[in-house]
Amino acid sequence: MSIGDRRVKRLTSLLIWFLTMVVAVIWLIPLIWMLLTSFKHESMAITLPPRWLPIPFTLENYLKVLTDSLIPRWFLNTTIVAFIVTFGVVIIDSLAAYGLARIDFKGKNLVFWVIVSGLMIPDQVLIIPLYFLFNNLNLLNSFPALILPRLALPLGVFILKQFFEGLPLELEEAAQIDGCSRLKMYWYIVMPLSKPAIAAVAVFTFIATWNAFLWPLIVANTEEMYTIPVGIANFQGVHGTEYAMLMAGSMVASLPMLVAFLFLQKQIIKGIAMSGIKG
Amino acid sequence: MIFMRKNVNIAGYLFIFPFGVIYTLFLIYPIFQGFFISLHDWDILGSKIFVGGKNYNNLLVDPKFWSSLWHTAYFALLTTPVLLALGLGLAMALNKGFRGRDIFRAIFFYPYMLTTSIVAVIWIWLYQPLFGLINFYLNKLGLPAHAWLAEAKWAMPAIAGATIWWTVGFNMILFLAGLQEIPDELHEAAQIDGASSIQRFYCITLPLLRRTVLLATMLQMIASFKVFGQVYIMTGGGPYGTTRVLVQYIYETGFQWYRMGPASAMAYIGFCIMLVFSLIQFKLFTRAD
Repeated sequence: MSIGDRRVKRLTSLLIWFLTMVVAVIWLIPLIWMLLTSFKHESMAITLPPRWLPIPFTLENYLKVLTDSLIPRWFLNTTIVAFIVTFGVVIIDSLAAYGLARIDFKGKNLVFWVIVSGLMIPDQVLIIPLYFLFNNLNLLNSFPALILPRLALPLGVFILKQFFEGLPLELEEAAQIDGCSRLKMYWYIVMPLSKPAIAAVAVFTFIATWNAFLWPLIVANTEEMYTIPVGIANFQGVHGTEYAMLMAGSMVASLPMLVAFLFLQKQIIKGIAMSGIKG
Repeated sequence: MIFMRKNVNIAGYLFIFPFGVIYTLFLIYPIFQGFFISLHDWDILGSKIFVGGKNYNNLLVDPKFWSSLWHTAYFALLTTPVLLALGLGLAMALNKGFRGRDIFRAIFFYPYMLTTSIVAVIWIWLYQPLFGLINFYLNKLGLPAHAWLAEAKWAMPAIAGATIWWTVGFNMILFLAGLQEIPDELHEAAQIDGASSIQRFYCITLPLLRRTVLLATMLQMIASFKVFGQVYIMTGGGPYGTTRVLVQYIYETGFQWYRMGPASAMAYIGFCIMLVFSLIQFKLFTRAD
């Protein structure tokens, strides 16, 4: 390679680095602006020209959000729903996936294809009949309404089944000779070996549930039952021009995702890549 | 032996059972019930009159329905090319040997973790006509300010912009996964043969990423037919219905005007369109494994 070539190469990589840097700054600005606005007095948030730094610095917006708004309540609701759904999906989906991966039974292929077809059903087809179903059950505006429809996740079965099928059979065969039941094999052999796949399913179930918007918007009709996404939309409607407070609310509401992201970035990205879900 | 077999069979059904119950109640039953509702005049209290295909016929001549389909397509057209190009560009830049690679990846991916409403709230503030950052810096550059979310011409591009910020990280991850499947030897061999980096991009990277590109396109098409939260919060479908996308119209018809029959019919038509994209996506997905 000649010196000229090398120089062109170095220039190109410098250019790429520079461009990526520019995009990264653009991508960071909305987040930084949210953070900085949240520490301003309301009147200081709407100055011309806009001032970047929150001087004087205040925590009054956070105080208002935590004491005067229902955001803590929505936070609690969403946490309850997301944890129960994630736990439920992992158990229910892995049971089904084990049945499909390891046990021969009549109609197995049909069952599998019915489940896989569920991957293609968008929420908007389900919301109207589900609304009437929960109305008839007298369960509108309740935790079961927020939780139950999300408990059977076809994508989870699909991913776990693929993973289970890749595990060696020998361990289970040995266990079977020792008289071990299917349920024990599932719980003591297959599940511990499947931690990466379970983590992926848990991660995307949790994120998807935490961020779900359409169904909670329809089924939660009192402020006390809102989840974070519906609550923040409502908060925006009520406090439309109190930008500093809106930003403080958004900061608080996005905290768990930020913490999760800081600690679980690798697993999250792997889970998203594996599932190919799109918000 | 026969007894054993039977036992094994029953175990299979037992493992499927919990999933089966929930799936049947909250997915299979609603799909059929939804179609049933679409054949009726059906109000919020559930009182019904059978009307056959009338709801579907009405939709075909409803200009609002056609415009909502067009707005959905417009949203897809605005977002897909940028998401693909930028997602691929970032993935290639960050694929290897890039200083601070992990931090950059985190920066581009983090917005994807935020919920729609938070994204909408942040961008409403950025687009704010008088005090928003965007107008302020445009003015400084000598460009005209706009009431982005209130002007018919700009509302949808503004929503698309916020969406690109929100989800480009997802596309970047898809492309990174695709790039990692390309063996280094190919690039090395081409380099020895004297291929420039541009030639290698067009002759190696792009052809081998064909599947990923198609997958990302299909996923964005499907996501466009589901787009709702950003629109609902940022514009409510306005101004003058210019950002009313399919799901927004379903929501309005069903849960604001309480006309469940037409709303269901709309959901079904949208579903049929999506099915085409879903089938292509599914084919791509299963071939990957």
